[in-house]
Amino acid sequence: MGTARVIFDRWDGMYAAAMSEVRSSAVRDLFAAASRPGVISLSGGMPDVRRVPHDAVQRAVREAMAHDGPSALQYGSSSGRVQLRSTIVGLMGESGVRLSEDDIIVTAGAQQGLDLLAKVFLDPGDVVICEGPTYVGALQAFSAYRPRIECVDMDEHGMRMDLLEGLLRRLGPRGAKFIYTIPNFQNPGGVTLSGERRRRLLELAQEYDIPVVEDDPYGRLRYEGGHILPLKALDPDVIYLGTFSKIFAPGLRLGWMAAPRPILAKVLPVKQAADLCGSSFAQSVAEHYMTGTTWRRVLADLTRTYHERRDAMLGALEEHFPADVAWTHPEGGFFVWVTLPGYVDTRPLLAEAVEHGVTFVPGTDFYPDGRGANSLRLAFCYEEPVQIAEGVRRIAEVLEDTLQLYRAFAAAGAIGDTRRAPEAATALTGGER
Amino acid sequence: MNEKIAVLMGGRSLEREVSLRSGERVFGALNELGYRALALDVTPDLVETLRRERPDAVYIALHGKFGEDGTVQEALEFLGIPYTGPGVVASSLAWDKSLSKRLLAEAGIPTPAWVTFTKDAFKEMGAATALDLVPAAVGGLPVVVKPTKQGSALGLTKVETAEGLADALLTALSFGDAALVEKWVDGVEIAVSVLDGPDGPEVLPPVEMVAKSGLFDFSAMYTAGETEYYCPARLDAPVQTEVMALAARCHTLLGCRDVSRCDMVVDGQGRPFVLEVNTNPGMTEVSLLPMAAAAAGVSFPELVDRLVRSAHGRRK
Repeated sequence: MGTARVIFDRWDGMYAAAMSEVRSSAVRDLFAAASRPGVISLSGGMPDVRRVPHDAVQRAVREAMAHDGPSALQYGSSSGRVQLRSTIVGLMGESGVRLSEDDIIVTAGAQQGLDLLAKVFLDPGDVVICEGPTYVGALQAFSAYRPRIECVDMDEHGMRMDLLEGLLRRLGPRGAKFIYTIPNFQNPGGVTLSGERRRRLLELAQEYDIPVVEDDPYGRLRYEGGHILPLKALDPDVIYLGTFSKIFAPGLRLGWMAAPRPILAKVLPVKQAADLCGSSFAQSVAEHYMTGTTWRRVLADLTRTYHERRDAMLGALEEHFPADVAWTHPEGGFFVWVTLPGYVDTRPLLAEAVEHGVTFVPGTDFYPDGRGANSLRLAFCYEEPVQIAEGVRRIAEVLEDTLQLYRAFAAAGAIGDTRRAPEAATALTGGER
Repeated sequence: MNEKIAVLMGGRSLEREVSLRSGERVFGALNELGYRALALDVTPDLVETLRRERPDAVYIALHGKFGEDGTVQEALEFLGIPYTGPGVVASSLAWDKSLSKRLLAEAGIPTPAWVTFTKDAFKEMGAATALDLVPAAVGGLPVVVKPTKQGSALGLTKVETAEGLADALLTALSFGDAALVEKWVDGVEIAVSVLDGPDGPEVLPPVEMVAKSGLFDFSAMYTAGETEYYCPARLDAPVQTEVMALAARCHTLLGCRDVSRCDMVVDGQGRPFVLEVNTNPGMTEVSLLPMAAAAAGVSFPELVDRLVRSAHGRRK
């Protein structure tokens, strides 16, 4: 009997080295196990588009065809339709940022903006500074270009400026290609960068001559506290990423980048190479949807809905979670970040949670380097308040059982109480307790 | 031939995704073969659906808890519907690695030394104070720690140092109520499938798995390109004969029928050790049983057909 090597992918060995990072993971498959009915999802950051009225969208589609028919079906400008860019100018003006249409290009969601910036700025080995933890999609977009990602810890007021300053001092002027931040209701941390720190961040960026990338998908979803001016309002050199995903719907894949013109001049040809231009049709629909006042009523309703759900989650955490667990208190957005005792690993915990009919995202997903094992992210955006409370109760049950086991190990000296403490230095333990 | 065959897949096991991939493929093959195939996700109305649909046989494409542990088999026995694969007892024996290893060892079948811990032993009896004894008990490091009842290597960790043991146990215990610590055997990993035929068990050519990462874990199993497979395995002829005989013995010892897959490792001296026996082997495009069958000249539809006919033959 001869031996034959069994070939599944005959192009194996041909792929770019960067592709070796892409692996099937048990954690991903656990989420597949959670696709069965009856599982409460506290994992996904999906906007509740069920609350976007179909007739309003249908009207926008009809108007798009009636008014823009041929141009909505044709290739368009790589920067995006000028009408939509002027809608964006209006939106940004409401947040306190003065721009003109020429300062903006329309992208396929803010996600494309992340990819384009990485492509334009990063060579392998370049340093990118992020918050730790940070948005998974940003880590994915950046890592394709193989940078070294440095994470700066946060507390309840966002990225810690003392730590950022220390890092910048080590790296020196222009020692990083950009500083990436999600200042409002950070994903996954749920914390907001204070006004004072925003000014400090810009000072430091200027001092060390490093661009700032401000990713602001949730800025309009504030449930308490006053509006804080975007970084872009304080410094026109900031690269700002916005999106229609949370104020309209992610299905349109529409976002934008507002940046200094020299940077846009580099981004534009790269955008052309990627997709020639964004979807003219989606842009036209968004233009018409964002005309008039319906979208504001819908957004107000969404904000009210998310607010209720956030309250449901914070209430349930208070009621059910053990005493040695801390979590953040988001003033807006979609997420609460939970920090467990240093010796807990939330990755295997997810397996038990799925068995109990609830999901969360383990904290390690939000770090480039395996940190965050004792933390997890909860999303309150999609489930109804009753489900959120039940989901939190189920996680608490799993947690109680697990903590008992961990304590037994700790009591026997088999694991140290602070074993993971140095790596899990995330200071995101603020919030109500 | 127009029998109605229900394919059970999905369910609430942690291997739901893998099961759906297996099930979909089996479903396709059944249609191709001319059966009236019915794809059923295992939900709380399964029994009601089966009573209404009255299939002639059930193909169990479930992996993990409820599908491999005897639960669904017990329900089908009660409903009087014949099903593919081993019965209740063989399923539950094979599913519990601690139990099946004990049986294998008692029958003189080589299996790596191991110790088992339950969650309760840690919580109620302070077993964590005895972790220092573990490496010596199994003949030294490295060891593999895994849940006693779980498939697809979920919750499995290779441990190189004594300090890593507690972590690995905590991980494994998140996937089940008990975990076993097993001596790591350095060598060639192989899977030997057994198909029941008219003249008794027929052993298929061994498949050899070479994980690029060195550990045949979940991601090595299901990421294309992460593992190289050789079929038949690159073993010396006497070793090949020996592992095939071992697989047949395991199949018979645990009381398997229709099919089983015996996972082994062959060490540097050509000595085989049985790691576990699977009663419901994967049927995905990268699974070991279909690979072995293909090497023996049995196509995927033929394999499915054979299992279904065998089940159908048990119809009362």
